[in-house]
Parts: sequence; C-alpha cells; structure tokens
Amino acid sequence: MTSVIEAVGLVKHFPVQTGLFGRVQARVKAVDGVSFAVDAGETFAIVGESGCGKSTVARLVLRLIEPTAGELRLEGRDLLNASPAELRKLRGKLQIVFQDPYGSLNPRMTVGDTLAEPLMLHEVVAPSRRSARVAELLSLVGLRADAARRYPHEFSGGQRQRIAIARALAADPRAIVCDEPVSALDVSIQAQILNLLAELQQRFGLAYLFISHDLAVVRQIATKVAVMYLGRFVETGDADRLFERPRHPYTKALRGASPVPDPRARVAMARIEGEVPSAAAPPPGCHFHPRCPHASERCRVEYPAWKELGQGRGVACHLFDA
Amino acid sequence: MSPLLDVEDLRVAFRTDRGPALAVDRVSFALAPGEAVCIVGESGCGKSVTALSIMGLVPRANADLGGAVRFEGRDLLRLSDAELADLRGDRLAMIFQEPMTSLNPAFTVGSQLAEVLIRHRGASKADARAAAIEMLRHVRIPAPEKRIDEFPHRLSGGMRQRVMIAMALLCRPRLLIADEPTTALDVTIQAQVLELMRALRAELRTAILLITHDLGVVAEMADRVIVMYAGQIVEEARVDALFALPQHPYTVGLLGAIPSLAGRKRRLAAIEGMVPAATAMPAGCRFAPRCPFADDTCRREAPPLVEVKAGHRSRCWKAPLEGLAASLADLPEAA
Repeated sequence: MTSVIEAVGLVKHFPVQTGLFGRVQARVKAVDGVSFAVDAGETFAIVGESGCGKSTVARLVLRLIEPTAGELRLEGRDLLNASPAELRKLRGKLQIVFQDPYGSLNPRMTVGDTLAEPLMLHEVVAPSRRSARVAELLSLVGLRADAARRYPHEFSGGQRQRIAIARALAADPRAIVCDEPVSALDVSIQAQILNLLAELQQRFGLAYLFISHDLAVVRQIATKVAVMYLGRFVETGDADRLFERPRHPYTKALRGASPVPDPRARVAMARIEGEVPSAAAPPPGCHFHPRCPHASERCRVEYPAWKELGQGRGVACHLFDA
Repeated sequence: MSPLLDVEDLRVAFRTDRGPALAVDRVSFALAPGEAVCIVGESGCGKSVTALSIMGLVPRANADLGGAVRFEGRDLLRLSDAELADLRGDRLAMIFQEPMTSLNPAFTVGSQLAEVLIRHRGASKADARAAAIEMLRHVRIPAPEKRIDEFPHRLSGGMRQRVMIAMALLCRPRLLIADEPTTALDVTIQAQVLELMRALRAELRTAILLITHDLGVVAEMADRVIVMYAGQIVEEARVDALFALPQHPYTVGLLGAIPSLAGRKRRLAAIEGMVPAATAMPAGCRFAPRCPFADDTCRREAPPLVEVKAGHRSRCWKAPLEGLAASLADLPEAA
C-alpha cells in the first residue's frame, strides 16, 4: 500500500547572513535528514522542544518552504517536481490546521465565505451545492449552520479551531498537517478538539502529521511518534511502546520532565541539565551528548548511526550498538 | 498561627462598555508562612487578576476593587502607592510568565538586580553587585560573574526566568507570587525551574502563591489547591485530597480532560460548552450549563462555598460527590 505522505531524507538549511554585504556566515541545519511515512487513518506525531525543527518539517511537507534536499510524495506522487497545475490539485489533498486560530482565519470574511473558498478553488462540489456543503462542514465540526453568517471574532478560541478544521476538511483532503493545533487552548477545550480530530480521522480515514511539544497530547492522539532533537529524529516507534519503554536518553528525559497530574508521582520527576544548544552551532558528535547522563568519549566525536530495533522502533544512540 | 496572607471577599469589577465585568467575585483564602498554594483554572477564571490585585497591580482607573487583602496584618488594598512600592520586591515579590516584559532591555542584568538592594536595603553599589552575583549562583546560572554584565536579550528564556527569580528573591520575601512562571518554557527547562523554586522555598521558607492552568504543575508544587471558575473559587483542598477525591464536577472534568502520559484514553472527558462571559453570568451555579449533573436547583440557585469534608471546600449542591465523581471519571472508558 502506498503511504499518504512519504518523506525521504528531508533537509532544510537556512543561511545565516551577517555583515555589510549579507555574506552567508553559517547554515542553520533546521532539518537535517528526516524520513517518515504516514498511512491513511494514522497519526504520525513529531514531538520535541522549541527549535528542534518540527514545525519546519510541517512547512516543508506543505511546500510552504523549499527543501534543500530530499524527496516528498503524496499518495505516491512527487510533490517536489510537480507542475504548478498538478501541485494545486495535490494541495487540496493536503491541508493544514495551525496553532493559532486567531491568526489563521481572515477576520474580514464570514465563516461561510472562508469555508466556501476552498470549495471553489478545488472545485469540490458544484456551485449550487456550495452552501449545503458549508452547512455540512459546520455540522461535522460541531457548529450550528448559522455560524456561516458570522465573523471569526464572534467565536471563542475553541470554536475558531473548529472552523479551521472545517476549512481543512472542505477540499476533501487525504492528509492534514496539524501544527500544535491544541497548544493555545484551555484543557477542557483541548480535549474537545482532540476528540473531534480522532472522530474525523476514523470517519474519513485521514492521515495526520501532528506536530506538538506536549508528550501527553501526543500519547493521546498518535499512532506513531518521532522524537526530534536539533534537526534530526533521535527515536521513532509505535506510540504505546515508545512511551512505555523509551530507549533514547532524550526521550527518557522528556518523559521524566513532563509533569504528571498526580501528586504521588512528584518524586519521579527527572531532570536533565543544560539547555538545547543553538542549531547554528550544534555540538560535535551526538547533538545530545552535552546533556546526556550516559555520554561517553565516542558520543563526543561521532554522530550515532540510525539503528532499527524491530517492531518499527528506531533509535540514534551509541548505547544501542551491539 | 496567624496567616501570612489573608484574602477576604476580594472583588474586582472591570468597567466595560457592556457594564461591569466581575472578574473576581468574593474570593477568600489564606496562606500560612512557608506554604505553597496553587490557584488553577482556565483562561478568564480570574486567577491572574486575583494575583495582580494582591500585588496592587490592577489599574484603579478602570476597575473597582472590594474586600480586603491582609498581608502580615496590613490591608494592601488600602495602602498608598508609595507604601506598596516599599513592600513590592522586598516582603512581597512576583514573577511573570514572560520575563522579557519585566526585565528592562536597556540595562544589564546586574544593574537591575543591584537596583533592588539599593532601593530596599540601601546597599552600596559594590555590596549590591556582590549579593547579585551570589543570588545568580543560587539560581544556578553558570558563570554568574560573567553573566551579570549581560543584557537580558542575550539570555535564553530559561536563563531569563532564573534571573527573574533571582531578582524576586534578593530581599528574601515572605511571599512569592508566580503567575504561570514556566508556561513559556520547554518541559526540560520547566522541570529545572520548578525544581529550583522548590529548593529555594525549602531554604528561604518563602510562601508561594502559584497561578497556573496546568494540573501537572499543581501536582508537582502545591501543598494546597484552589480551583477557580468564572471568577469564583469552586473548590479548595489539600493537593492529595483534590486529586484523589475531587469535590466539584468542574475539577472532575478538568482531571478527565487531561491526556495522560500513562496511557491512551478511549476518549477524553471533554467539558462541553465554554466559560460564560463575565458580563453575562448565568443565574444559579455558574458551571451548571456545562455540568452533566445539573438539575433545576443548580440552574436556579447559586451554591455557596462550604466545607464538605475536613479542610475541603466545594461550591456544589451535590457535594460531597463520591459516587458522582467516580461515575464521571469513568466516562472516558465507557464512552
């Protein structure tokens, strides 16, 4: 079976220009060779801290920015070398929900117009069916049909995120890139949106590429997970196994640092020292070694090769060299 | 022992075009010396306004304040600006979510830290600088004698928050109010900052009033928890009792809505609907429109905040709700 989204060796380097003539002084390796596949009905989550490159991956997949190298396919078709006409068609199949529902909806358009726009653009339904389809989309995300006549500012953050999801669904996509879709929401509303995303996925067999910094949210929604640190995946695997038995020291640290809503678990909160180094000057060897409690001499000089551990688990860490 | 902080019937009403918005509605609670209390709730519940009122930072020009905020016996709401300024940064300190908004970008970290000691302790410049370096070392900033001459923008978010904490603790305050201090930080940095606050609290015996939306942070930090909803306290209890047997349906809902790292839930127990607007509060219980157990009494009459068990207060007609809470907590699995 062909995966809905397939990325092979994605690389994105940003030049850092300084000085009088804007000479390129350095390159930030924001994404440095990541590969993954997302199947229909599946959620692939990329989790990591600020600056790890997870949102850059989302933007690359959407072709909002051009990769430095790599391959990208949507249902087997080449996204990077598609003609403009072909790309427009493919774009309908690949939609996005952003973190900030305030910034991503046009404040001067009614919700109805916002939802009708992709219907027109991608010629999803006949013009006569458009308003019926708008009403259908609103009901899919749990909003009343009269929402179509109102403007974004009349809605709460959670409702706006529902509108953004309805817009993403309008063009009948195969995949949705969700970039921190619940990070700006209160927990009770976050739960509503996570439940909604899960329902819609079941109903339409959608593939989600889910970007988040929140391990518990990822645990709730993801089928497969990649943990990202300074531009690279350090561990991947099936969500349940990865969270139950994290292998990479960074995954363990992330899990240990995430507060658990249980006062009895207090003493268990682990701590790692230091901060994420700059992506413009990552440490030599394994990028994580300056913060790693298990770092050896080898970790300081040699980046660990990717190792498959079976059952879809993979890790980049010298601890797993046989 | 008399409380360090005693908030009694605090009311804050903002004047708006649509009439007064009651952001904080008769909130009463107390903090003992050295105690850590968390106020938890969602956006707009009044938790931050409560904290700002205690610090005297709610602008009087467009807000009406009522009640009393007694700190070491003195009512802060009745102090002059000059008297408050003497207290703030000395006996009473506050840290915010975004340290960059509280640090002056035009001055070095060291001069801003030293200023606190010169202002409140009349310290000499040299003594203040030495004490500032010592405090930076205390909050575990590496190479403090170098860092002290940096400007705030040169520091990472985690380092800035450490500088804020250092500044807040310079005069060894009796009470530290922390408003979402780790919300803008990555989890590994958050863990470091929470650990630091815990260590400093143990060492300096500073009481902490921590404002947060994150029940995970509450579980890490609190001795006692206050849950706010729509401007009111709806529940208050010791931390273990609150998590083990919550006595308000809103708290039960919040706990059910959090995804768990321990395992996937079939469905999260979302609280349907949303918080009412401060200008249009429902009659009766404010949570009734979203509460799965609400009946006619709940919709008609506002419940009082009463002690339902020893040391456990709840604002719910149905409390104590052992059976109900258990059935609601089970909802996600059953759905």
